[in-house]
Amino acid sequence: MTTAPLGTPGTAPGGDPEAIPLLSVRDLKVFLPITEGLLIERHIGDVRAVDGVSFDLRRGETLGLVGESGCGKSTTGRAIVRLYKPTAGSILFDGQDISTVDGKDLQHLRRRFQMIFQDPYASLNPRMTAGNTVGEPLEVHKVGTKAERQDRVRELLSTVGLNPDYAERYPHEFSGGQRQRIGVARALALDPDLIVADEPISALDVSIQAQVINLLERLQDRLHLTYLFIAHDLSVVRHISDRIAVMYLGRIVELAPSRELNMRPLHPYAVALLSAVPIPDPKVERRRRRIILKGDVPSPVNPPSGCHFHTRCWLRERLGNPERCSEEIPLLRPLSTGHEVACHFAEEVDGSREQLQATGRGGANAIPAGGVAAAAAVPVDVAAAPAAERSAAGVGALALDGELGA
Amino acid sequence: MTGALPAPPRASAAAPDALLDVDDLVVRFRTHDGTIHAVNGISFQVARGERLGLVGESGCGKSVTNLAIMRLLPKPAGRIEGGSVLFDGQDLVRMDEADVREIRGRDIAMIFQDPMTSLNPVLTVEEQMTETIGAHRRLSKADARARAVDLLGMVGIPQPEKRLNSFPHQFSGGMRQRVMIAMALSLEPKLLIADEPTTALDVTIQAQVLELISRLTTETGTSLILITHDLGVVAGMTDRINVMYAGFIVETATTEDLFEAPSHPYTVGLLHSMPRVDEREGEPLIPIEGRPPDMRNAPTGCPFAPRCAWRLDVCWTANPPLAPLVPGTVVRVAGAGATHLTACHNPPTPAEAATGRPLRAGHRPARAPAGQVDELASLAAIADGVAPHGAS
Repeated sequence: MTTAPLGTPGTAPGGDPEAIPLLSVRDLKVFLPITEGLLIERHIGDVRAVDGVSFDLRRGETLGLVGESGCGKSTTGRAIVRLYKPTAGSILFDGQDISTVDGKDLQHLRRRFQMIFQDPYASLNPRMTAGNTVGEPLEVHKVGTKAERQDRVRELLSTVGLNPDYAERYPHEFSGGQRQRIGVARALALDPDLIVADEPISALDVSIQAQVINLLERLQDRLHLTYLFIAHDLSVVRHISDRIAVMYLGRIVELAPSRELNMRPLHPYAVALLSAVPIPDPKVERRRRRIILKGDVPSPVNPPSGCHFHTRCWLRERLGNPERCSEEIPLLRPLSTGHEVACHFAEEVDGSREQLQATGRGGANAIPAGGVAAAAAVPVDVAAAPAAERSAAGVGALALDGELGA
Repeated sequence: MTGALPAPPRASAAAPDALLDVDDLVVRFRTHDGTIHAVNGISFQVARGERLGLVGESGCGKSVTNLAIMRLLPKPAGRIEGGSVLFDGQDLVRMDEADVREIRGRDIAMIFQDPMTSLNPVLTVEEQMTETIGAHRRLSKADARARAVDLLGMVGIPQPEKRLNSFPHQFSGGMRQRVMIAMALSLEPKLLIADEPTTALDVTIQAQVLELISRLTTETGTSLILITHDLGVVAGMTDRINVMYAGFIVETATTEDLFEAPSHPYTVGLLHSMPRVDEREGEPLIPIEGRPPDMRNAPTGCPFAPRCAWRLDVCWTANPPLAPLVPGTVVRVAGAGATHLTACHNPPTPAEAATGRPLRAGHRPARAPAGQVDELASLAAIADGVAPHGAS
């Protein structure tokens, strides 16, 4: 549970509409049943994929949802766009609870929230042209005349940096990055407010990933989009998100502004996750030390009691295995403004050796953290040239900077 | 067959401590769509105990290089069409299949990306491990089994005696990769080739597996070739790096030098394409525009020219060889003091490498000659709302 007051969204008379979160998820649970038997299906258990998730998403904000396979991040995203029916909890979208809406009402609402999928090879119909794929949502929702729809498709294709004449081509004629652009164009077709992007760049090559990230960022600025950005890669999430929620076994364990999470992670799992992300710089890598977690993530069918992470927690071990960890479920609680952690002993993490080593603090990118005994100072990173110099540099005109101007 | 190739004259004598010496290796695939120019005459060495990274994106030839070294190219499409691969002084390219099989597994071992597809799903781990050990070593069944237990314990599998009877599907992804590592190291190879060993794994499990590979190869002095697309992974794991693009090595340097002073536009582009967890607020990514070349076309000029902001006219017509940045430098090809080499007519300056863009006044990327795809121009044209002509 967050401590932010739930309020009464949608009913605040004369209130600032910007103040009401676009999306407000409370205690969301998605259990996927496991059944046994061929003729008579017996319900023998549940995969507790999402086990009580709460967060708010403000208009125009990007919230990154990060975690490893099986942590429930994708299921959370899919439940929000109602590809799954939530088992419990509420999803307030612009003040309306969409967790139980069905049929025509749901179809109507879906215009406002769209999804971008991971694999641009699997998510496009190989027998539909790019134009038909992008235009299909317009047809389903009976938007405009045929000619208007065609114009809109051309406009959408150029918005995502594709040649509008490619509308007649089929998916196999495009590269991976171009296919993902088609997926983005389709998601934009109905002018949605919210886009849930589920690992949108994981299947792409590094050089192409940056193209798609930049595209998503420009689109957000231009179209005032709100993103729920789901990914396993903390460096990508850190780049694109305003705030980050770290998930572990169906629960959010830490929720903080992006920079804060990367400079001062407070949940033992978030520290381990951050320490495991390789940084492409041998000097920094030598300074960091990874926290090697023991074993694998336990099964979400039968998650550990209390804190789900207690079976692998380095902090619990150091503290002499306090019973509280295995008995009491830690709730998300604020440790500083906007920084919430679900750990009984999060105070012990702050300033710990593990935290400092995971963040590589003491180097060029350190924040001036008061009271922290920083490691040896390191020469200023050559890559850290002033941003102004960078944007003023030569080939700006060649990049896609101008693409959204028209 | 490759066995019929005449031995080429060697340009330079191998360094005395070179374990692996790849010289002018050319690999082609003959397909219905035409010939794929997968590897286009690359040369590199691996010293004993050295850890070399092979970095590049899909289709750059890094995995094919590795398959060629192991003589595991898919037949009949894939062929080594030139060059030599000296391992411990013996040319693997011209060796009999039976002799290669003897070396493979015993002296050169491999770990692949997906452990599920490289383990046999219908045999227990014990059967697979003892088979590998038994094929190269004369050991009794009990001894082979004891060795397998030791190995599983060494790679950190809990209760190794018990887990020996498990089937691959009963292990998680990270555990399966540990089993692969145990098998690869079971015969104490001189060279371990790890091809994207952690790409299929979660990041905390990746950390476990990388640490394991690092520790075991260091302890035994095993040479390592680590193939990956992830510059972050090689930064902490290797002594030296070859950056590959379109079947060429475009830059090679010690890991330190490469990150300190990247000097090929592609390497610079890769580094600026990757977000870093420790980056500063609002630091923009600078993507490499366009897409990789069609490998069916024999390269004319520099393969990176269509996507390169630094290109000059000469880049369209002449493919630059790997050369030291300061002409005349004595070249050392392997080991700690290896020379920084780059294949570029117009290498980015340190300042340009830091910003990711050309900074020289008046520099414009050279126009493409007729018939050449210009990835930069086609993007600019789309941005202006004009359809590019002739772009594929």
